Amino acid sequence: MPMIELQNIDHSYGNKSVLENFSLKIGSNGLTCLLGSSGCGKTTVLRLIAGLEIPKSGKVIIENKIVSENGKIIVPPHKRNTGFIFQDLALWPHFTVYRNIAFGLIEQKEKDVKQSVYKMLEFFGLQSLAGKYPHQLSGGQKQLVAISRSLVLNPTVLLMDEPLANIDVKLKRKILDHIIELKRNFNITIVYVTHDHREAFAIADNIVIMNEGKIEDAGTVEQIKRSGNQYVKYFLEY
Amino acid sequence: MGRKLIKHPVSTGIYLLFILLIVVPVVYTVGSAFISDGSLGKNIRLLDKETFLLLGKSILIALIIALLSTLSGTVLGFSLYKTRVKFQGFFKVALLIPLFVSPYIPAVAWKDLFFTVFHTTNFISSNTGVIFVLTTVFTPLSMLITGSAFAAIDTRLEESGLMITKFGNVIVKIVLPLIKPAVLSSFILVFIFSISEFSVPAFFGVRVFTTEIFTQFSAFYNHSLAILQSALLILVCVILLLSEKKYIADAPFLSVSSKGTSSKRYGKPVINKLSFLFLSVWLFISVILPLIVLLMQSFKDGTASIVKAFELLLPTFGSSAGLAFAGAVLIVIVGFAAAYNSTIKNKKETIKSFDPLLLIVFAIPSTILGISLIKFYNHPGVDFIYSSFAIILIGYVGKFSFISAKLVENAIKQIPFSLFEAAQIEGISSSVGLRKILFPLIAPALFAAFIIAFIFSMSELGTTIMVYPPGSDILPIKVYTIMANAPQSLTSSMTLIVFLLTLLFISGFYFIAKPVVKNYGYAND
Repeated sequence: MPMIELQNIDHSYGNKSVLENFSLKIGSNGLTCLLGSSGCGKTTVLRLIAGLEIPKSGKVIIENKIVSENGKIIVPPHKRNTGFIFQDLALWPHFTVYRNIAFGLIEQKEKDVKQSVYKMLEFFGLQSLAGKYPHQLSGGQKQLVAISRSLVLNPTVLLMDEPLANIDVKLKRKILDHIIELKRNFNITIVYVTHDHREAFAIADNIVIMNEGKIEDAGTVEQIKRSGNQYVKYFLEY
Repeated sequence: MGRKLIKHPVSTGIYLLFILLIVVPVVYTVGSAFISDGSLGKNIRLLDKETFLLLGKSILIALIIALLSTLSGTVLGFSLYKTRVKFQGFFKVALLIPLFVSPYIPAVAWKDLFFTVFHTTNFISSNTGVIFVLTTVFTPLSMLITGSAFAAIDTRLEESGLMITKFGNVIVKIVLPLIKPAVLSSFILVFIFSISEFSVPAFFGVRVFTTEIFTQFSAFYNHSLAILQSALLILVCVILLLSEKKYIADAPFLSVSSKGTSSKRYGKPVINKLSFLFLSVWLFISVILPLIVLLMQSFKDGTASIVKAFELLLPTFGSSAGLAFAGAVLIVIVGFAAAYNSTIKNKKETIKSFDPLLLIVFAIPSTILGISLIKFYNHPGVDFIYSSFAIILIGYVGKFSFISAKLVENAIKQIPFSLFEAAQIEGISSSVGLRKILFPLIAPALFAAFIIAFIFSMSELGTTIMVYPPGSDILPIKVYTIMANAPQSLTSSMTLIVFLLTLLFISGFYFIAKPVVKNYGYAND
């Protein structure tokens, strides 16, 4: 049974159609990469899963539950048990690292919050940065704080929207290692959006290649590498 | 879901109140000129050739002021934001002073100077004098607007230009076109401020449209003509404003700059020297010289004048500061509601975006807004507003909410929407989102809006002089009424006290603002 399912989704921004009759199934406890060039609709798919966009028509199903359907939101974003890493990371600049991670736990007891936050900080080796503000962190540290902020809520699905788009190659490798480690240690389904096939090959269990709002091909890394689809061949070449 | 994040009926309520308390009186008053006060034909005949000539003269004066202020403001903005001139921080604050004091203060100073040096005030008490003084008053506004635009230019755009062409070409072909919306909006706003200005032409005895409306209304009680003339002036301002609405909406008008933003600065020694010279000369003309003249005039007969002026004005300090404080709070609330409506909420889902309304009310000259409020609230049932300070507060809100809305709107626009979406995903409620994310991030802008609204309200004369309840002690009104018959030294002393009081408030707010800006706000890192 798929963890996430999109059924016959139509979605547009104004008059511009982004997805037409789009369907996708994503299995549980693995990392699926949505791969494609800019404007192909991969971020929209992620935002539809998160509930930040509502499909004009079609269904979004998470854990066998319809979360939005035909222009209606049924389960709001914060009740979908999903975490979201934004491309710009969206760390609140006026909060310290600790408060950025703790903010989503606002209704829990202070003692429990502290425990959860420090568990996260420890996992990513960020304990010494708890009191720092986002502008005092390096690019890599910010990435890890953003991931920690999402994971502290124990999501079953983690959505990552090109989180490595703005960092250098060396750091990218390090963060990718962290994501692989995260995949091993947390019982979590990750949907990862990128336009870089090397990045996708390094971490993905499954890859979905998108083009102009449609799926060109989908499969494991090896299957995609051997794909006979002309667009996929062209895309992987460049 | 788009950008609709937080539903707030409060902003709708504020919008309706704004319409009811401010827009309805203006529409009622202008409409009554055509309906209840006589037939349209009869009233239109009151607008003779002389009226149109006076309107033409007022437009010409305002156009010249707008042109000169925008030119000098753009040069000042460039010097402060695009060069490595020395003492930038000092110049940025000091050059703003004329904007925050009542325009009649430099007018008094310049008249004093001409009288002291030339023993006649004929030259300054003229159209040229009005143009000169108002140019020094409104240039800082232009400097703020164009300066924000210079600071907002993406460094890479200029640097990529510098790779292929010389400095002059980059300025002319890249930088200036990029700040065009700011230059145009500066021109239009200064034009509207100038054509609405009442105190300087009145003090210099120069007949312009606003003084004529005031005379017809207060001296001749010819309300029909006053309102018709007002309608003409409103028409001129609104047409101009709406024709360039897009530019004004796009210009980074009075934005509180983000921490960490860096715009390209040019370090050529010759540019730095010229900039320093221009900034110093402008500061001397617009701030230092008027201050020296006022000091000399105030103390030329010892301390008698300044003591008498202080005694006369002392009873007004509390009520004026209190009114300005209450006005500033209301202005910030209305400004926030308008900015919130036009940025956070989905525009498609709301008809309550009242930015255009604020813009139109802002364009209505102060005296006319005052007349509208008097005519509307001097009726049974609402006359409790007419006879209380509430009418002054309504005037302040009508006059300055647009500025506050633009400031807050620019601050909200700087915040990436993902910060709110991240909170949404984490299940943060809308009220917590407002309190913990939005308000702290826009705190510097809210505070700046409060300070500007406070200072502007404190020195507002055009509307206040029309609406103030009899017997009330309000600082600018008291100064204005006393100085009509007071000796020169007493006028200068009163003006000096108002000037120093304004400086005191600005410095006080500056020190309070420092930690707010340091601890809050959106940092682009």
